[in-house]
Amino acid sequence: MTERKQTSVSAALAAATCSLLGAAPIAPVQAQEDPGWDFNTALLYYGEDNDRVQDLSLNILGKRYFVDDRALSLGLTVDTLTGATPNGAIRQGVPQTFTRPSGSSVYTIPANELPLDDTFKDTRAALSVGWEQPLGRLWKTSVGLSGSFEYDYTHIGLNGSLSRDFNQRNTTVSAGLAIAHDTWDPVGGTPVPFAPMLDVGGTGNKTGGESKDVIDAVFGVTQVISRRLLVQLNYSFSNSSGYLTDPYKVLSLVDGVTGDTITRVPPPGVEGPSHEFRFESRPDDRTKHSLYTQAKYYMGGKVLDASYRYMTDDWEIDSHTVDLRLRWPVGERSYVEPHLRFYTQSEADFYTISLVDGTELPAFASSDYRLGNFDAVTAGLKYGWTTRGGNEMSIRAELYRQTGSIPGDLLIGNQVGRETYPDLDAIILQFSYRFSR
Amino acid sequence: MERRPVRQVSVEAGQDCLVGHFDAMASPCEILIESDDRAEAARLTKLAAGEAWRIEDKFSRYLAGNIVARMNSARGNAITVDDETASLLDFADTLHTLSKGRFDITSGVLREVWTFDGGDGLPDPQAVKDVLQRVGWDRVTWRRPVLTLQAGMEIDLGGIGKEYAVDRVAGRLREAGTCSALVNFGGDLAVTRAPRQRQAWRVGIEPVSAANNECNETVLEIATGALATSGDSRRYLQKDGIRYSHILDPRSGWPVERAPRSVTVAADTCTEAGMLSTLAMLEGYNAEAFLDGEGAMYWCRR
Repeated sequence: MTERKQTSVSAALAAATCSLLGAAPIAPVQAQEDPGWDFNTALLYYGEDNDRVQDLSLNILGKRYFVDDRALSLGLTVDTLTGATPNGAIRQGVPQTFTRPSGSSVYTIPANELPLDDTFKDTRAALSVGWEQPLGRLWKTSVGLSGSFEYDYTHIGLNGSLSRDFNQRNTTVSAGLAIAHDTWDPVGGTPVPFAPMLDVGGTGNKTGGESKDVIDAVFGVTQVISRRLLVQLNYSFSNSSGYLTDPYKVLSLVDGVTGDTITRVPPPGVEGPSHEFRFESRPDDRTKHSLYTQAKYYMGGKVLDASYRYMTDDWEIDSHTVDLRLRWPVGERSYVEPHLRFYTQSEADFYTISLVDGTELPAFASSDYRLGNFDAVTAGLKYGWTTRGGNEMSIRAELYRQTGSIPGDLLIGNQVGRETYPDLDAIILQFSYRFSR
Repeated sequence: MERRPVRQVSVEAGQDCLVGHFDAMASPCEILIESDDRAEAARLTKLAAGEAWRIEDKFSRYLAGNIVARMNSARGNAITVDDETASLLDFADTLHTLSKGRFDITSGVLREVWTFDGGDGLPDPQAVKDVLQRVGWDRVTWRRPVLTLQAGMEIDLGGIGKEYAVDRVAGRLREAGTCSALVNFGGDLAVTRAPRQRQAWRVGIEPVSAANNECNETVLEIATGALATSGDSRRYLQKDGIRYSHILDPRSGWPVERAPRSVTVAADTCTEAGMLSTLAMLEGYNAEAFLDGEGAMYWCRR
């Protein structure tokens, strides 16, 4: 229910009605259009070049409003991931053979190519349920439950938020909290940190499942500055503890002078790795802080939406994100929306390219390119329109380009010139449809 | 003269409620009662119908001998009215001021020249001017409880009567029973108290007209408060492509230009909802701006 400000006519009318009927109304009006269910559906395709990750996902979010702005929402996401992803090992001048995560077979990467693990295939189903409830005229709360399930990973989460309007609803202050418990049950077991990749059939390097707990908190202020300008400022805190390592990523164990990976020979009749690889190891705790600011500027039907996020964490990753969207009406019923996003991050303090044979192992190490130093640009265009029946449709196409660099002091011997950051191009296509019934 | 319908009440089962029916004020009236006790529902429906018929008998301009007939036949003489009538006249006086003269209970005589039957018969402008001589609350002397109406002028409380009756009936039902009831007099309605077995009462706002059925029935949910609709779904004139709404501006004697086809307003009482929707119609093109400015909850159709 929107707050009704009483101006001269309605206030005088209320007073006149009160004396006509000889009584004040017993309860303020609570009425609304029955919207039935409002459905937001989207089909999203994300595809990386060179047969790397491909993701197709279907999202359905249904929301049902009740009298007095209470609302129930139910969400379902199903997605399928396929394709290859860098396994963390470096390129070599000779072919390299790796044991698959399942421990039951091997795959071989040609000379001078970036080692990609193509066993990546997963189907994920995620469910969420939420309830929004105003408390009085100015307070609003929400609670939600989420779960996602895939072959080797399970997530269960609980979230809640509280907000209050001030200043004739021009200011909203909000706080949110989410907790999650995620469980890994990797194919073939969870590798022991820095354990060597073993021959087919070997299991001495793996243990059972692992888990992590995540707490997220967000505090925000949204302020209407004028009829044209709305700004938002959020601080968020996130702490993850437990198993934060990627069980499928390895590091090459290299010679301290040449930088080439130490070779090995599997026993006769047994398939196994051609070189020495060690499973990665990450700290078991990560705390992130981020500041997010957004401004929406309305100008004669056009809407400029600009935001900036700064994130810093105790893995020493700092990132900056600038996101710009401009919604431009075309005719009565449609609009185009160009989108530009810039992202840059510094590498984690334990990010490295390889482990040096014969030296003491560091406490933590990972060569996951996502923990490296990289920039990313997203450029896209969305076209949206309203159907005659009042439903909304949109199509969106975006290009994503990620380019990184490896700090020179991490490269040893022959790695210089041979090892480069695995740059990435991807396309994003989305069709969305919003309807009510 | 309209024929007075037979006065009887009936109760039948509705969707998870009992529904009392009767006719009053030229409208089908229904009382939705959240109860499965038929005797109780019949008692409440009779009470509701009794109050509705009392108000109809007292304030209908079609009936001889009632207070409205006495005021309209006083030929310039002062008459003293009872408390209830005086309260309605006070209310009309306030509305006249609030609407800057657009809401006027003396404007009924314009019907002598305007017939809104969907046809193209516009009146002679001079005839409108002549009738306008007998329109204007500011020509009336009202000193509660004494009213002096110039000869030839008439008072018509039809613009307030139905919403007032809905609120009065809702008030009587609230006193008489503990269950939630929805009082619906032809689309003007009020809830006596929040329902218990459901979130809210569900009410349909009809499409503007059958010919214009691209807009579907809108379903509203109402837990407390009231709804009222003003509109010209059937009552209009059309000539040379211009649609003349039956909402007349008593200051000019001509229909309000570019008024919405219907305005439904939700408010604490049916009277407030009805007056806001009427005032919005009288604003014509600015109906939505007016309602927005008042912070009203409304559904406008054009």
